[in-house]
Amino acid sequence: MAPRTQLKRKASTAAAEAEAAAFSDSEFGDGVLEGVLSDDSEDEENSDDEAEDVDGQDEDLDSDEVPSEEDPDEKEDEEHDGPRYRVEKDANGGERYVYEEIDPVYDSDDSDAQDPENTIGNIPLKFYDQYPHIGYNIDGKKIMRPASGQALDALLDSIEIPKGWTGLTDPATGKPLNLSQKELELLRKIQMQEIPEEGYEQYPEYVPWFTHEEEKMPISAAPEPKRRFLPSKHEQQRIMKIVRAIREGRIQPYVPPEERDKEEDEEEEMYDLWANEEAQPPHVMHIPPPKQPPPGFDLSYKYAILLPLSAFFLPNKEEKKQWEETDPDEREKKYLPASYDALRKVPAYDTFVKESFERCLDLYLAPRVRRTRLNIDPNSLLPKLPRAEELRPFPTVGAVEYNHGSRVRSLAIDPSGEWVASGGDDGAVKFWELRSGKQVASIRISADEPVNAVKWRPGSAILTAAAGQDVYFIVPPMLDQEVQQASRAALDAGFGYATNGKTATLTSNGNRKDPPGTWARPGARLEDQGVLLKITVRADVKVINWHRRGDFLLTVSPTGQRSAVAIHTLSKHLTQIPFRKLPGLAQTAQFHPSRPLLFVALQRTIRVYDLQRQELVKAIQPGARWISSFDIHAASGDHLIVGSYDRRLLWHDLELSARPYKTMRFHPNAIRQVKYSRSFPLFADASDDGTIQLFHGRVHNDLMTDPTLVPLKQLKGHKVVNNLGVMDIDWHPTNPWLVSAGADGMCRLWA
Amino acid sequence: MASSTGAGGEGQQIRVNFTTTLPELQLPEDKSQLLVPGDIKRYGLSRVVNSDAMLNTDSPIPLDFLINGTFLRTSLEDYLRDNGLSFETTVTLQYVRSLVPPIYQASFEHDDWVADVDVLSSTSRAGLWAGNNLPQGQDRVVSASYDGLLRIWNMSGQVIATSASMSSKSFPSTDYVPAIKSAKFLDATRVASAGMDQTVRVWKYKEGADRLSGDLKPTLELLGHKGGIESMDVHTPSSRILTASNTGEIGFWTTSASAAPDAPRKRAAASQPCQEAQGFSSSWRPKGCFVDDECYQHYDDGTPLIVPVLCSGHQHPLLAAGTSARHITLVDPRASATTTSVMTLRGHRNFVTSLSASPNDNYSLVSGSHDGTCRIWDLRSVRTGSKAEGGGSVSEAVYIIERESQKGQKKKSDISGAGCKVFGVAWDKQWGIVSGGEDKKVQINKGSDLLAK
Repeated sequence: MAPRTQLKRKASTAAAEAEAAAFSDSEFGDGVLEGVLSDDSEDEENSDDEAEDVDGQDEDLDSDEVPSEEDPDEKEDEEHDGPRYRVEKDANGGERYVYEEIDPVYDSDDSDAQDPENTIGNIPLKFYDQYPHIGYNIDGKKIMRPASGQALDALLDSIEIPKGWTGLTDPATGKPLNLSQKELELLRKIQMQEIPEEGYEQYPEYVPWFTHEEEKMPISAAPEPKRRFLPSKHEQQRIMKIVRAIREGRIQPYVPPEERDKEEDEEEEMYDLWANEEAQPPHVMHIPPPKQPPPGFDLSYKYAILLPLSAFFLPNKEEKKQWEETDPDEREKKYLPASYDALRKVPAYDTFVKESFERCLDLYLAPRVRRTRLNIDPNSLLPKLPRAEELRPFPTVGAVEYNHGSRVRSLAIDPSGEWVASGGDDGAVKFWELRSGKQVASIRISADEPVNAVKWRPGSAILTAAAGQDVYFIVPPMLDQEVQQASRAALDAGFGYATNGKTATLTSNGNRKDPPGTWARPGARLEDQGVLLKITVRADVKVINWHRRGDFLLTVSPTGQRSAVAIHTLSKHLTQIPFRKLPGLAQTAQFHPSRPLLFVALQRTIRVYDLQRQELVKAIQPGARWISSFDIHAASGDHLIVGSYDRRLLWHDLELSARPYKTMRFHPNAIRQVKYSRSFPLFADASDDGTIQLFHGRVHNDLMTDPTLVPLKQLKGHKVVNNLGVMDIDWHPTNPWLVSAGADGMCRLWA
Repeated sequence: MASSTGAGGEGQQIRVNFTTTLPELQLPEDKSQLLVPGDIKRYGLSRVVNSDAMLNTDSPIPLDFLINGTFLRTSLEDYLRDNGLSFETTVTLQYVRSLVPPIYQASFEHDDWVADVDVLSSTSRAGLWAGNNLPQGQDRVVSASYDGLLRIWNMSGQVIATSASMSSKSFPSTDYVPAIKSAKFLDATRVASAGMDQTVRVWKYKEGADRLSGDLKPTLELLGHKGGIESMDVHTPSSRILTASNTGEIGFWTTSASAAPDAPRKRAAASQPCQEAQGFSSSWRPKGCFVDDECYQHYDDGTPLIVPVLCSGHQHPLLAAGTSARHITLVDPRASATTTSVMTLRGHRNFVTSLSASPNDNYSLVSGSHDGTCRIWDLRSVRTGSKAEGGGSVSEAVYIIERESQKGQKKKSDISGAGCKVFGVAWDKQWGIVSGGEDKKVQINKGSDLLAK
C-alpha cells in the first residue's frame, strides 16, 4: 500500500496545490527524513513520480470510490441513501418506479483518453504566468500548473523543524519524542552499513613498522650465512625427485595441447565398430530358442462371426466345464476359444505375464543341447533296390476283359496258357480264349452253389471245380480230341479200383463208416457238357490244389472239422483224410512243388508235414491273425508268401526261420490271394480294395544272399462290390501275364 | 533379311529346298529352291509343288512334306519356332506322295467276331497270282469268323458264299464251335483257312454266273497240328502253306493233294522249342524263297515281346513284328542272326495282332490291334526315342482308324479296345484297308484317292 498512498498523495498535490497545506505534518516529516539521509535519490524519485503522475490519476479515476469529479459528494450520498428511484403514481393509481438518469461517465471509461489536455491552443504559455493554471482541458476545467522544484524547496526551507524531530509523542513523558545526536549518528552508521560501535575506527592511520627502505645503520651486524650463497639442497632433492620421475616416465614432458592431440590421434585409432556391419551367420554354437507356435484361428476375437459353423467350434458347456476341471498343466489348450462382437470388448489376455514368465523360464532353465547330426544321406540308408523299370517284364496294363456276369470266386489259366477258366457265384464255370477274350464254353455245374475254386490238373486239360461239397472234373470241349480222349481215360481209370464205399471200414460200433469222399458220375446232363467225374466230400470245398504229378489233389473245406483237408487219388478214386485232428481251422493247403511235403495253413500257423514219414516237420508262424492264402516258390521250394485277412503280405524263408523274412502292409483291406509266377521272378497279391500289387521277388541261388523284394506296380481296375475287390489271381505259365477275378463279375488279363 | 523385310505384313519368308526320292516326281535342278511364306502349311506347299511352274502335273498329286524325318503338320513357321530353328537357314523339305486319311466306307455285318480278313482283287497278291484267271471286277473279301464259317463278300457288302460248318462236336450239349483264325485267298478260285480245330482246309470257291452267289467246297484237309492254328500264310506259286499253332509248332504244307503224304500230310518239325510262335504272315520274299520260321522271343527294354505277326511285304527286307508289348518292332534280318530292332512303331495301347503292308509304296504299313484301332505308319517319319521308350528310332502313327461301330458309344471299360478289338487287317489298292474284329464287323476304310495315281 505504500506506493499507492504515495501516488495518491502526489495526485492530490497535482490536483490542488492549496490543499497541500492542509495535510498533516507527519507526511511531510517523512519526506524531510528522506531528504536528509539520501539526497541523491530524491530527484529520481520525484521525476519518477511526475512521470507516473498521469497513470496515478487514471487509476484513481478507475476506482469506484471516485467515479466522477463533478459531484462526488452527491454521488456518495445516493449510493448510501437508499434506492436510486422515486415512486410515482401512474395513471391507474399504481406505483411506478421512475429511475434516475444514469450518468454513463464516458470519460472515466475511456482508458485511452489523454490526461487533461490543454485546449488553449497555439498561444505562448507565458500568458498564464500570473495564473495558477496553465490552461483548460476539454471539459473546461482548469489545468493547474505543476509544482516546480523551486517552489517545493522554498516551501521546505520555510519550515523550521528541530533536529531529531520524529513527530512522535513519548508515551512516558507525553512530550514530543526527539532523537539525540548520538542516536542519529547510530542510525546514520546503521544506514551506511558501518560498524555502529562507539569509538571503532574503521580506517585507522597506517603505521609502517617494516619498510623496504634500507637502513643505513642495520640493527644486526651478523655476516650473511653461507647457505645464502650455496644452492639449496632441498631444492636439489626436489629436482632430483622430479628428474627421476621424468626418467621413469612417471612425468611426461610437457607437450603443447595441439601437438598432444595430434599424437593421440595418431596413436589411438578409433574404430567404428558398426561401420561395415554385415549380417553374420550365427555362431556354430548358437542354438536358437524353439519357436512358439503362431496363434491359431480360434484366438481371433471374431472367431464366432467369421465362421459360419462357429457354434461347432466354440466350446459348449461340457467342454468348458471339462476344460476348467482339468489341471492347467494338462489342458490341451491354454485358453478357451471365445468370441466377441467388437475388438473393444475383448479383455486383456490375462495369462500374458504368466505365459511370458514361463517362456522365459523355458528358455533359461531348459538346457538346449546341440545334437550331433549324423551326416548320412538318407537315401543311402534305403536298401539298394533296382528300379522297377529295370525289372521288366511285368504286367502293367489291363489287356483283355472277360465278363463272367456274376462274382467270380476263382479262375485259372490252363497249362498251355491258351485258356482261362473262371468259376462264379452263378454256379457256372466259363472258359475263355486267353488273348482274344472270347468265351468258348460255359458249364453250369451247380444250380444254387457258387463255384468256389477252379484248378487245372497239371500237365493235362482237366479242370477241377468245386461247388458246394462237390468237386467236378471237367474236360473242356475246345481241346484237341486226342487230349480229350487221354483226359477221359485218366478220369475213368479209377473206376476199376472200386474202393469206393465197398472197402469202407467198420467202426467199433459195427456201423458202416461213412466214406470221406464219394466218387461218382455227375449225371448225363453234365456228362454231355464234358463234366465227367464228381467227388462229394463232407463239407463245402473252398480250395483245390493238385500235386505236381497230377494224380493227387487235395481239397480244403474249412468248415469240415476233422475232414477239413482231404487228399484224393485220381487214379484210384480214393479219398483219404490225413489228419485225425487239426489244431485249428484249416484255411488252405498245398503240396510242395518238388518235395513230398504238405503245407496246411491254419488260421495263424502253417504246418508242414512230411508225407512219407507222416510227421510234422515244422510250423511256420507268419504272425498274421488270419491267413487267407499262401504260395510256395516253385523254383527254390524254400520260400513262401503268405497273405492274410489282416492286410499283411509276408515272405518266409523256410531255411531261415519260422518267422517272416519280410512283412509288407501295403493294402488297406484284406488280402485274398497270393501267387508266385512260375516263369518270372514275380509275385502278386489280390486284395479286397480292388487292387493287385505286383512284386519282384528274386531268389538267389547262393544261400548267403537274401531274396530281393521290390514292389513294382499296383494294378487298378476292378471295382469294389460289397467290400470285395479282387477274389483270385493266376499267373500265365509262360508269359509275364496275370489274370484276376473281380467281385464285379469281370476277369482281367494284365499284360 | 531382304526377304523378311520385303514380305511386309505377310510375315516371314523362308527359303526351302524341295527334294524327293520319287523318280517320277523329280523337280528340275533350278526350281528346287524357293522362297515360301512362313505360315504356309502342307496343303499350300503341295499346291506350290504341283503348280505349273514346278511339277506341272495334270491332276494335282497330294504331297506330304518331311522335314527332318517328321511330317510337317503345322505351318512351316510354327515348326521352326517349336524346334528352335533359325528362320534364315534353308529348310530342306522332302516331298512324298501323301497318305490320304482313310475314310470310312462300309461295314459288313457278321454273326460272330471276325478273326481274319483277306482280299481278292486285281491288285492283291492272290489276284496277281491268279493272273489272267481273275475275272474282271471280281473283287472279293474273305472273312474268317469265330462261328467257324468263312464268308466271301463282294464290294457291295453281299455275302456271295458261306462255308459249311466243319466242326465235330466232342460233347453233345456243348455249343462250342472251333473258330477259324485265318483265311487267305490262294487264287481266284481257292481259299485256305485254318483255325482252332487244328486243321488247315483248302476250299474250292466257285461263283455263279450272276456273280451274286457262289459256293465253297472243302477240297483238302491238312491235319497234323496239335493245337489251334493261330496264323497262316500261303504262297500259291510254290503251292505252300505256312501255319503256326498255339503249341509252338510251325506247319509247312503243300496245297496239292497228290504231293501231300498221308495224314499227317506234311508237317515241318518245329525247328526250335518256341515258347510262343503265334504266327506270321507274308514271310514270303518276292523271289519265292521264304524266310525261315521267324519266331522271336524278343526282349526289348525288359518286356518279352511275343511276336505274333511278321510282315515283310516291301522291297526292302525289313520285318515288322507286332508284339504284345503294344508296339511294332522293325527287324532287319540281314543285320544279324540275333534280332536287331531297327525301329519301333509306338502308339498302340494293346496287343498288336495283325499287320499289312501298303500296296502303294514301300514305306507304309497298317496294323490292327486289340485296342480297337488300325494305325497307319510311315517309316520315313522317324524321331529319336526317349529314354523311357528305350531309345532307338521311333515312329508314330500317321493315321488312326477307329472302329465305326464304337463311334458315339460310351466307353464301358478302362481297358482300351474292350469290345472292339481288331483281329485282322488287310490293305489293298482296290479295297483300301479292310479290318475285322470283335465288333462282328468287317470295316472298310479307304483313302479317297489311294487309287488315283
